[in-house]
Formats: sequence, C-alpha cells, structure tokens
Amino acid sequence: MLHVIGLGLGDATDVTVKGLEIIRTCDRVYLESYTSILSTSLMDLEQFYGCSILEADRELVENNADEILPKDEKENVGFLVVGDPFGATTHSDLILRAREKGIKVKIIHNSSILTAVGCCGLQLYRFGETVSIPYWNNNWRPNSFYEKIISNRQRNLHTLCLLDIKVKEPTIESIVKKKKEYMPSQFMSVSEAATQLLKIIEEKNEGITKEEGALDKSSLVVGLARVGWDNQRIVACHLGQMASVDLGPPLHSLIVPAAELHPLESEFITLHTCE
Amino acid sequence: MVNFTVDEIRAMMDKKKNIRNMSVIAHVDHGKSTLTDSLVSKAGIIAGAKAGETRFTDTRKDEQERCITIKSTAISMYFALEEKDLVFITNPDQRDKDEKGFLINLIDSPGHVDFSSEVTAALRVTDGALVVVDCVSGVCVQTETVLRQAIAERIKPVLFMNKMDRALLELQLDSEDLYQTFQRIVENVNVIIATYSDDDGPMGEVRVDPSKGSVGFGSGLHGWAFTLKQFSEMYAEKFKIDVVKLMNRLWGESFFNPKTKKWSKQKETDNKRSFCMYVLDPIYKVFDSIMNYKKDEADNLLQKLGIVLKPEDKDKDGKALLKVVMRTWLPAGEALLQMIAIHLPSPVTAQKYRMEMLYEGPLDDEAAIGIKNCDPNGPLMMYVSKMVPTSDKGRFYAFGRVFSGKVSTGMKARIMGPNFQPGKKEDLYEKAIQRTILMMGRYVEAIEDVPSGNICGLVGVDQFLVKTGTITTFKDAHNMKVMKFSVSPVVRVAVEPKNPADLPKLVEGLKRLAKSDPMVQCIIEESGEHIIAGAGELHLEICLKDLEEDHACIPIKKSDPVVSYRETISEQSNQMCLSKSPNKHNRLFMMACPMPDGLAEDIDSGEVNPRDDFKVRARYLNEKYDYDVTEARKIWCFGPDGTGPNILVDCTKGVQYLNEIKDSVVAGFQWATKEGVLSEENLRGVRFNIHDVTLHADAIHRGGGQIIPTTRRCLYACLLTASPRLMEPVYLCEIQCPEIAVGGIYGVLNRRRGHVFEEQQIAGTPMFVVKAYLPVNESFGFTADLRSNTGGQAFPQCVFDHWQILPGDPMEPNSRPYQVVQETRKRKGLKEGLPDLNAYLDKL
Repeated sequence: MLHVIGLGLGDATDVTVKGLEIIRTCDRVYLESYTSILSTSLMDLEQFYGCSILEADRELVENNADEILPKDEKENVGFLVVGDPFGATTHSDLILRAREKGIKVKIIHNSSILTAVGCCGLQLYRFGETVSIPYWNNNWRPNSFYEKIISNRQRNLHTLCLLDIKVKEPTIESIVKKKKEYMPSQFMSVSEAATQLLKIIEEKNEGITKEEGALDKSSLVVGLARVGWDNQRIVACHLGQMASVDLGPPLHSLIVPAAELHPLESEFITLHTCE
Repeated sequence: MVNFTVDEIRAMMDKKKNIRNMSVIAHVDHGKSTLTDSLVSKAGIIAGAKAGETRFTDTRKDEQERCITIKSTAISMYFALEEKDLVFITNPDQRDKDEKGFLINLIDSPGHVDFSSEVTAALRVTDGALVVVDCVSGVCVQTETVLRQAIAERIKPVLFMNKMDRALLELQLDSEDLYQTFQRIVENVNVIIATYSDDDGPMGEVRVDPSKGSVGFGSGLHGWAFTLKQFSEMYAEKFKIDVVKLMNRLWGESFFNPKTKKWSKQKETDNKRSFCMYVLDPIYKVFDSIMNYKKDEADNLLQKLGIVLKPEDKDKDGKALLKVVMRTWLPAGEALLQMIAIHLPSPVTAQKYRMEMLYEGPLDDEAAIGIKNCDPNGPLMMYVSKMVPTSDKGRFYAFGRVFSGKVSTGMKARIMGPNFQPGKKEDLYEKAIQRTILMMGRYVEAIEDVPSGNICGLVGVDQFLVKTGTITTFKDAHNMKVMKFSVSPVVRVAVEPKNPADLPKLVEGLKRLAKSDPMVQCIIEESGEHIIAGAGELHLEICLKDLEEDHACIPIKKSDPVVSYRETISEQSNQMCLSKSPNKHNRLFMMACPMPDGLAEDIDSGEVNPRDDFKVRARYLNEKYDYDVTEARKIWCFGPDGTGPNILVDCTKGVQYLNEIKDSVVAGFQWATKEGVLSEENLRGVRFNIHDVTLHADAIHRGGGQIIPTTRRCLYACLLTASPRLMEPVYLCEIQCPEIAVGGIYGVLNRRRGHVFEEQQIAGTPMFVVKAYLPVNESFGFTADLRSNTGGQAFPQCVFDHWQILPGDPMEPNSRPYQVVQETRKRKGLKEGLPDLNAYLDKL
C-alpha cells in the first residue's frame, strides 16, 4: 500500500495523529524534497517520527517512480509531502502509476498554503486561479501568469502567487549534456516576485492604454513569509514598495488582491500594512 | 634593399584610395607563391635573381620542403606607379589625386583543397583577387572553388596565365594554339564568374578581359609577365594609335595584313592574328634564338627590344640567359603591379558594395555606415579572420581587417566572438588592445595605429577569441558575418599522448591547434577521447605534425582516420510520436519527414537561411519545394547550431502559451540534431513537424527542465519511426594524367567504391582529366595507391562534394550502416546495440 501523507506547513509536529501512526507502520518512508520545505531538518523529523526517512528529489520521483512504489502487496510505503498531498499537481502521476500497477493508495490530508493564506484576512471564497511565478533566465521569460492575475482581477478575485523554488535543478546548459550540473538552491522572495511583475507591467504598458484590471506600482499586494511557522510574517503594501521589502528567509508567497475589498477584508488587511 | 620604411607604410594607410587589399588564389601547384615572389622582389624585400625560387611567403619549414603552401601569409608593400600608368585609373575613389604611391596588402593563400579554409579567411579581409591559372593545365577544380568563393564574397578578380615557359619549352605549342589555349581559359573563368554574378550586380562588370588589361600572361618562375597594355605601349607610337584602342586590337578576332597594312575582323589568307603577330611572335623569337644558341640573332633582337644586359649576365646562355633577358624585358613585378593598381578595387570602392555582405546588424546603424564609407573617424569595426602563431609559444596574433574607425595600441575595445548577441554579455570582452602590428611575411613590425581599409595584426586579443571575431568600439554593434567555409571537417583521428602523464600538455596543445587553424575542430568525446577533425588527409597530417612539434611538444599516438557521418531518414514517421515530460503534465506530438532533394544543399549554401525574411523564405520554399506557405512561415529554427540543414516546423493550431515553451523546444531540437539517435552524429535533411502540444496550466511546470529532454525524446522517436539512414561524405576527385595512366585510375577507383562521371582530354595537351566521386571513407591512402598504379603519373585533388546515403538499413544487424553505427557508438563510449524506441515513445 502507498500512503501519501501531508505534513502540514510548520515543523515535525504539524503531522496529523493519523498520519503519524501510519508513518510508524511503514517499511519505507520518503520525504519529497523539491516542492516545498519545512522549518525543521530531516533529522528532527526522523527523531520525532521514530523512523528513518529517505529523501526523494525530482529525478527520483519523476524518472524512477517505480523505485518508490511498494514491491509487493505486503509492503507499506509512506510518501511524505509538505502541505497537502494534492497541493502539488506533480504527485498525481505517482498515484496514477500506483493505481496502474494495482497498488492501493491512501491519502492523509493536511493543511496547505492554498488554504492557510486565509490568515492574511482575504476570504478564501474570493480567490481565483492560483499561479506560480518562475525565475526568469536569459532566454526564458514567461509572463502568462500576469494575464491570469489580470483576468482574476477583472472578475474581482484575488490571486495567490506561489513563488519559484529551485532545489537540485539542473542548469539549462547541462540539460543537453550527459553530465548534470545543478543550480544552487534558490527560493524566490516577495521582493523578487514584485520586481518581475513590475518589469512585465513596464513592458506591457509601453504605448498601450491600460486594460481593465491592470496592475500598476500603486496596486495593493500582500506578501506572506513562512506561513504556519512560528516566525510567520505578513505585509501588505503597494507593489512598488514590495520590490524592496525583505521578509527574511523562505518560503514566500505573494497575493494580488482584487481591486475591490469587502469592508471586513480591508479592516483585516490594515493589520498588516507596513507603516 | 627594402625600398620603403614602416613610417612610409603608415603614412600610406591614411590614403585609403591608394590601398589595394588582395589575395592570390589558385589551384594547387599553379604557381601562386612563385609569382608572388615577383612582387616581393620588386618591393626590394628579396633579390630579383632569387625571385621565383625563394617563395618568400612560404614561411614554414615544411612549406619550403614540400613546395606547398599550407598557411596563408600576409605582406604589406609599397610601390609607386608611373605618371603614364596613373591615367588608367579613372574612378576618383581609386586614387588620391596627388599620390603616386600604392600600398598593397597581399595575402598568398594555399592552393591545396585541404587548406581552403585559409583561402576563405584571406578572401574575407581582401577586396581583390589575383587568380593564377597554369596555362598548361587550365582551369581546375580548385580554381573554380576559390573563384566561386571570391565572387560570393564580392571580391573582384584579375586573371594571370602562369607557366608560359612550360607551354613554350615543353609543349612547344605554336602561337595560334597558344592563343586558343589562353582564349579558352579566359572563357572558362568568365563562365564561372557569370554563373555567380551579374554585370549589373553591385560590383559592376566582374568579367576579366585581356584587351582591358585585366588578364596577365607570363612565367612566375622566370620572373616575367605582361598584359596587353605593355605591348600596346610598345607599338602605340609606331602605329600612331592610342594605347587603349590598340589594346582592343591586340586580342580576339583581330587580324593584320602586313602587306596591305589593313586590319580585319576575319582570318584571310595573308593576314595574321594580331595577338600572335605582335605579342607572341617576339617572345617566340627570343625563346628560339636563345634556346637554340643563335647568338647573333639574339644580340640583334636584344638591341631591337632595347634590352641592355648587366656585364655579369652577358656570359650566360641557354635557360639562364633566357631568364635574364625575359625579366629585363618584361619584368613581372611591374605588370602585376599595374594589374593590381588599375583593376582591383580600393577599400573605398569595395566597402560600398561589400558592407551588406559583411555586417549582421541593421544596414543604417553607425557601424554599417562607418563600414560603407570606410570612415577612419567612424566607430571601430574590425573583423579577425584568423590567428597567426607568434614566436612566443602558445600566443597568437589576431589577424584581420579594419573596416571602419581606427585600431590603436592600448585602446579599449569590445571583443565579440561568433556567439555574441547584441544586448547580451555572452562571448563579449571589453579589453585593451596590447599592440597593433603590421604583418610582413616572415616578420612583423610594430605600428602605432591602423585606420580603416587596412589589414593588420593585434596582440593580446587571442585569449578572448577562439578563432574569429569582431572588434569594435560601438556599444550597439552587431557582429560581422561569420565566414562560410567551402569544405567541412569530415575526416577525424583520435589522439593520445604516448606517455599518459603528458595529457595536460596534449589538452593545452589541442587548444592552441584549434586556434591556429580556421577549420580544424578539436573535440573531446564523452568517452574521453580527443578527436581532431580536418578537411582531408593532408590537412590532418599537417595538424598532427604541428600539434606534436609546436603546440603540445610531446610524442603522440594517433588512431586510423575515420570519417564523420550524418544521420537522416528515408520515409515519413509511421505514426504520430508522443513524448511526455518527466512530470507527465506536458505532452508533445510530432512527426518527421525527409526534406525534398536539394533543400539541405540550399540550406548549406545559405540560399535558405534563418536570417531570411520569413515571408520571402516561405514563398521560395513553396515555389521550389511545394511546401505549404502557412507552414513554411512557421519554421521555428534550423539546426544544429541554429543554421544546419534540418528544420523544425510549427504545425499546431491554437495552442495556448506555446510561445512560452518555444525556446525550450528549440534547445531540445538543437540538441537532437547535433547528436542523432543512432550514433550521436549530426542530422541532415530532416524536417520535424510539431502537430500538437498539451501543457500544464502553470508556467513553472513547463520550464526548460521539463520541455528540453522531452523534445529530444520525441524527436528521437520521430527518427526511429521514419526508417533512419546513415549518410557518408563523398569527395569530388579530379585526376590529371597522361592517357596511358587512365586505365590504372579506373582500377583504383573501382576498388574504392568510386565512380568516374567525366573523362576528357585537356585541349592542346596530351593530358587527360578524369573526374570521379569517391567516398571519403575510401580515400585514405588513395593518393599513394593511385601513384603506384599509374607509375607516379596521376595526381588527384579531392574536394568534399556532397553527402550520400550509405546503402542499407542501420537497424538491420549485419548491414554495413549497422556496423558503422556500432563502431561509432563504441568509439564514443555509448552503449552498444540499437536505440530502443520504447525509451523515447510514450503511450497516450
């Protein structure tokens, strides 16, 4: 049986009681390490759960998934995911493959950034499509996420922007070679995300009349850092200001709220304004 | 004594209208270096008596020993023209009103096909070419190749018929036959010129014409030469005809009757062709009287011709006397100088029409205008066409041409390699030029600065450029266009040090070797093998020798030569190929089909290229190859290296965010076309169509890491389902020999899978020319084999001609291509066996 277990957002103790009990019965336990991070180290987790944990990086999960899946009916494998198992779309493939092989799959849910963002005061009912903001490089500067933010705003919806995480990603140059070289780990901060947004706005607005819902420097945005951790921080300010805000270590997320806020939302947001 | 100083040369550099940058080009052994000696001796650099034997521009020891030019060599010379000759220069851009002197920057280039890349590099920095043809052998394969390249680079040619001494002494041709031989060569040359340029093209009339003085005749070995201008001047006074008019009458269907004193356009019983009568007859007489020891007649002739011999020469007889007499009467240096000064363009003239061929950027930016006007006050634009080794081991002079502005010692400049793109930092250095120098054949002279229109060397740039590059001071400058070589590095050997501890020295030596030769490629295979790839057997031999003796200085072991192959396909993919990205959320659907015949060659030649306007290109592809116009407009890229003979076509309809993965797909395509699925050789002649794409909703899940490997897998699946094939390189081989040796040639060629497609006698000679196609793989040892089978009478010249499918299915064990694939895979350290389709093709 394959158990896909959500670990929640904070530290080792965020795991659910049910999850913990299952982990302790598993023959092998993997921690997926490339879509998010916890505030604690792998060793702390091992100590708390009382079992050894194998790290599963992107290459293992995407290219060698068969290695993770249980070998026979009796074997129990735990696959630990920070947040909720389905928060990352990436793992649907693992579950499909297990099913294909006739392996039973059990999911243990937990809290995810997708729901925890409610802590900033914006109502979860009013969030539109979630987007990710990827790191740009010389040749690759996608900006489709901007269009999605705008279309959310046009429907008067908030947008949660997940920010890029690079853990053990091969460099573009080394992809086409046989010997892989990896980029240093990188976690996008709210200020980097705001800077990229400002660049897109600058490029889009050249000589064109502003479209409905368009962002500008003075649009309100909310920066969240380490949601669910003890040192969580939330700041609301203008997009222009956000480019120079330092919220400390990762992980960060950014929210672009709808243009119109409910009075309760506005009231709650003022708690976080940075003045 | 050298009759000019560096200061004089520097002063001349500013008089850009009086500069001539020229290359000497020809088939191997037609006498370029020997002829060049005449000019070098006229400049006083070598003694006149030694001219023709010294081959001053053959600076390397092996060049002297083998009597073959290997590297091109540049030399700057100063000459003054006489008043009477200056009037022939009518174009105001061709001469400064008050200046009689001319600065000639000459580059002597190799004639052997294996060193064609040296010719390409020489042509790029010059504006004119002296095309030398051995009048006994006529126009040969390499004459045509270099001439074609010259015309394509917009280099204006003049023609020189060399080795007249052989025609007279060995073949004993009579004068009418000799005229016919000359006439045929001129025609042959003009046919080639007309094929690649029009009279109303930007260069104007390019054809060569003896009656205009743009064709010279003579013997480089004996140091004499003339154009019709010299003879016309001799007779002008006698006939009371203007020199120019007389030149017209001395060539072609023009006959003179000495009795009636009438000119005629037809041959009649008692008239004679004027060229034979006035030009050849006196020469024949001199030859006859001296070689047959008719002393009185000879003395008489000398007096008539006004030739005064030096006392020490009076005792000579036979060939030695003939040489002295001829070079006193018709000094080669003088005739050549006049041809060059009068008929070859100055940088001012040439850069006007060459700019658009040279510059990649917009044709109206500062750099383009600077080049067009050859403006010494414009931004610096210099093209480095090759690296020349210095006496300091491991360092090189960057040799090139200043097209605009001025390059000076100590100045700071942008050094841009071929991969530089405007606005980016890749392949770009901002460094100071340590020193500027003048190349003087065997030595160099330091010079303070060099203005536009001149050729020079730079010190301290070599570490920032691999082989070639652009040097500029203009921050928005684009690159100068990279050179297109007529040959490709199809023959390779693996090398290793005899003593394994010397490996670091070998690696360093290979780096230097790569720099020193415009064409050679030094590659490290995945298996760790060091590969040197060159144009042919001779090229590799020289490279290996240089590596061993100059660059690495260690004993080296080398493998047998092997050729590089190309991978292609013979049918359309038999199914729609699907590959999924590692996260399974992105899916690519593609197919491959072979390009129609001729398209790959059109891409090689640049007829179809990535820089074309896409609409113009689509129309061309539609008209010539029946491609659908809408699809042809959506060619994403060429590959490998962005320019190769494979294309990727977007055939999708309405896929959202497709543009966000385009760069990743292109990167995967470049990868797959560079390393094909069979044995990681380049692909050739394959068109890939993207039919559909499914993408993850979020940009972060469709980055390069997901798309690049997937594209490659999908392209590989396309290839494997399209009946893959191997292609091998084929030489065009031209062999000259006497009739009795022809049989032996057929025997050798048959054994080596070659086939003859043309055999004919060279008119006016007992020699035969056999043309054949010969697989490069069968060419190793061919020259030696041919010689031993023809009693040493046949000499082949092999030049890469085309790629041809190696018959057989590489997927079929025991077939010939299968063996080649396995050998290549083994050499490259790849898993033996065949690639498995299941590794690349995913199920829906």
